[in-house]
Formats: sequence, C-alpha cells, structure tokens
Amino acid sequence: MKDIFANLYNKVVNFFHQTDEKQANTKNDACNRLKLVLMQDRTNLTPAIMDRMRKELIELLSKYMELDRELLDLSFEHEDEQMALMLSIPVVRAKNEDEINEILAKEDEERKKLEELMNSESSEGDEENSVDNEASDDENQEQTDSEEENSEEGEEQDVKPELTDKEKAFSDEEEENSEDDSDDDEDDEADEEIDNDPTKTKKEKKKEKFFKKKKEEGASQEG
Amino acid sequence: MAGRVIVITSGKGGVGKTTTSANIGTALAKLGNKVVLIDTDIGLRNLDLLLGLENRIVYTIVDVVEERCKLKQALVKDKKNPNLSLLAAAQTRDKTSVTAEQLKDICEQLKKKNDFILVDCPAGIEQGFQNAVAGASEAIVVTTPEMSAVRDADRIIGLLEAKEEIESYKLLLNRVRPQLIEQNDMMSVEDVCEILSTELIGVIPEDTGIITSTNKGEPIVNDEDALAGKAYRNVAHRIMGEDIPLLDLTPKETFLDKIKNFFTKGKV
Repeated sequence: MKDIFANLYNKVVNFFHQTDEKQANTKNDACNRLKLVLMQDRTNLTPAIMDRMRKELIELLSKYMELDRELLDLSFEHEDEQMALMLSIPVVRAKNEDEINEILAKEDEERKKLEELMNSESSEGDEENSVDNEASDDENQEQTDSEEENSEEGEEQDVKPELTDKEKAFSDEEEENSEDDSDDDEDDEADEEIDNDPTKTKKEKKKEKFFKKKKEEGASQEG
Repeated sequence: MAGRVIVITSGKGGVGKTTTSANIGTALAKLGNKVVLIDTDIGLRNLDLLLGLENRIVYTIVDVVEERCKLKQALVKDKKNPNLSLLAAAQTRDKTSVTAEQLKDICEQLKKKNDFILVDCPAGIEQGFQNAVAGASEAIVVTTPEMSAVRDADRIIGLLEAKEEIESYKLLLNRVRPQLIEQNDMMSVEDVCEILSTELIGVIPEDTGIITSTNKGEPIVNDEDALAGKAYRNVAHRIMGEDIPLLDLTPKETFLDKIKNFFTKGKV
C-alpha cells in the first residue's frame, strides 16, 4: 500500500518537474543578441571588422604568451560617457624569455628586409610597379611598428588595461584598409565562423567550464 | 515660475509614449501642478484622443507658429482637471510645419506660467524628434522589454547624450509582463537597465485597462484600482523628487501554482 502511494507521489512530482524544465529560456537569447548588436551599433564596427580585429589581437598577443584562442571574449562597456573595451583571454601558458625574444628577433629581421626592399625599389624609381607594393609595405610596417611599441611593456600578464590604445590603433587601420583588403577577409571567413550561433553556444559552454576550473585552481597560473 | 520641460521619447513606435505622456501629465496635474502637454506628432496626433479632448480642439501648434492665434488660445483646458491643458498637433500637416527654434520658443513661453511642460515626441529620429527635444532640458525614454524597443532606446540615449540642452534622462520600462519574466521568456527590469545603463524612473506593467481607458478617453491614472495607474502615479511622484520604491510586480500565485509549489517543495 505504501509503495503505491510513493509511486503516485513520485509520478505527480515528476510531472510538474518536467513542465518546469521544458520552458525555453528565450530571455538569455534576447540579452546576448542585444548586447552583441548594441556593441556593433555603438562602435560602428561591422561583424566582419570585429572578427578581423579579434584575429589581429590574438595574433599580436600570442607572440608574448600562449592563449586559448577559442575563448577570447571582446566586449564594450558603457560607463557614464566613456566607452571601455574589455578583453579577456585565458592564458594557457606563459612563454619564457627566449621564446619571446626569438619571435621578436625574427620579426625585426623581416622588417629590415622589407625596409631594404622598399629602399632599393624606390631608388630604382620604377614607379609603375612599385605603387601597389609600397602601399602594402606601408601597412605592414605600420603594423610592426605598433607591435614593437607594445613589445617593451607586453611581457606583463595582465592584458586588460593596456589594450584600449592598441585597440584604437587597430580599428583605425582597419577602417582605412578594409576596402582594398578583400582577399584577406575571405581567407579569414573561411578559417572560422565566429558569428554563427551554434559554435557560439558551444564556446560559451567551454568557457564556463574553463572558468570553473580556473576558480578551483586559484589564480596560481597567472603569477 | 520656471517650469520644467520634459520630453517623452522612445525611438520605436507603439511602446507607449503617448499613453505615458497622458498619464504622467494627468497624474502631475492631480498633484496640484500646472501642466501643459504638447503633442509634437504632427500629422498623426493622438494625445487628444487619450485625454478625451478631441472634440474641443480649435487651434493647433501649427496655428500658433503661423500666428493665426495666440498661444494661450490654442491651449485646451481639461474640464475634469483644470490644472491640465493640451497644445494639440495639427492633423493635416507634416513635421516640417514647425521648426526646432519655434518649438523651443513655445516651451520658453509656457515655462513662465506652468510647473511642467511635457512634450510627446513622435517615433523616429528625424525632424520630429529633433523638434520635440529642442526645448526640453529633461527626457524620459520609454521602452519595453523587447529587443527592438531596447535597441531603439539605446540609439535615442546616444542622441540625447550628444545634446547639450538635455541635462538628464531617465528610463521608463513599459508593458512589463511579470509572468513572462518569471518564466525567463522576457528580459527582466534589471536586464534592461544593465544593457542600457540608464537610471530607471518607473516600471509599468502591461494592463488591459489601458485599452479600455483609451476607449473612454480617460487616462488610467484616474482609476484608483488599476495597477498601471498606480505605477504611473508613482512615476509622477518620482518626477517631483519623492523617493518611492518600484511596484512589486511578482505574479500572484494561482491555485495551480500553489499545488505545484507544494509538490516541488515537498521533494526538496
């Protein structure tokens, strides 16, 4: 007799619990989509440009530490009249000095080569051919310049506070170049489709797990 | 006397700007303030309908601007509420019939003899919006917990911030449905505030009474029992500087909920 009642009770409880779980959580969808679209509205950055900015940032920062590229989180926050760019990327491993120096040395070499190339070309005065090349060389140089500036201070682990200036430099460049760099964009799009919703939700899950793990470990990795 | 000029705006249409103007205006007048409502939605006027004044309009704002009458003549006094008067929009003209300068001038004149001038702004961010904002020093941004309304409100807030004459703006969250929020199917008040990072002046629940009160041409603040009416009366108090907590909108437990809670609690 007791069993029958217990059974019945459980069934009823389960019935009500099921209806609870079935409720879709559309509110979070709305919030997340809104935040993303407002970020674009407020900054005048299109999704494609945002995507490119992310990639360039990752590229830049990866020189100095090993990062979890998948989990980069970029957002803008409104505080009074100021807009702040918030960047958070989990650091997988800090690179040691040798590694960093190696990369930087390589870069310097490349830059020198480019400069030499440019000088030799301009001295030859072959204007018709060199116009296009020069333009792209300029871009590269600008980029390496800005990266160099950051290299002196970039060995610190704390990424967030330094980024705003870099950010501006990049987005400015971006706007100038976005029209003639259609080739690059296509490549980028093929690499990753960050804007797609399905991948995003996966990423978020991964992210949550990651941060839980982090909390458990304590911030020991950072130091 | 130097009255306060408050523009009621939203960007998106249909979120309740006109309803809000009519109700806050009526509530402020009932609290003893001299209030003028200006309908700047020229060509699509409706504020007169919500106040039940549609049959008494002789002159409109365009008549004032084009000097066919004096400003005082164009103000329609509400018989039930002598503190409240309306400056109606012209129905047969468009937004270009009035310039921002002219509206600013009208507001300046009205300020001298009234406590509050509420400007009901048309939807959109074009000329009509620019006109309505011109004379105001405060703004109430009306929005609902829907994505499109919140996005448009964000745009409006951006535009208001760029205007030097607007000293402060606050958010009024309209048509809130506590039941949907409870189910996680609607953004909550906190969500919207966080996204827009703007101070709240009031939360108005969705209320079918709004429709019936519009049918009658009588703002819902006159209905002592209606929840939306109470919420609007609270907003009026807050505008006057009183510190009044937000209404508790958590849905009341129905019989079914009680059974449900009994069982779920029982399990824990």
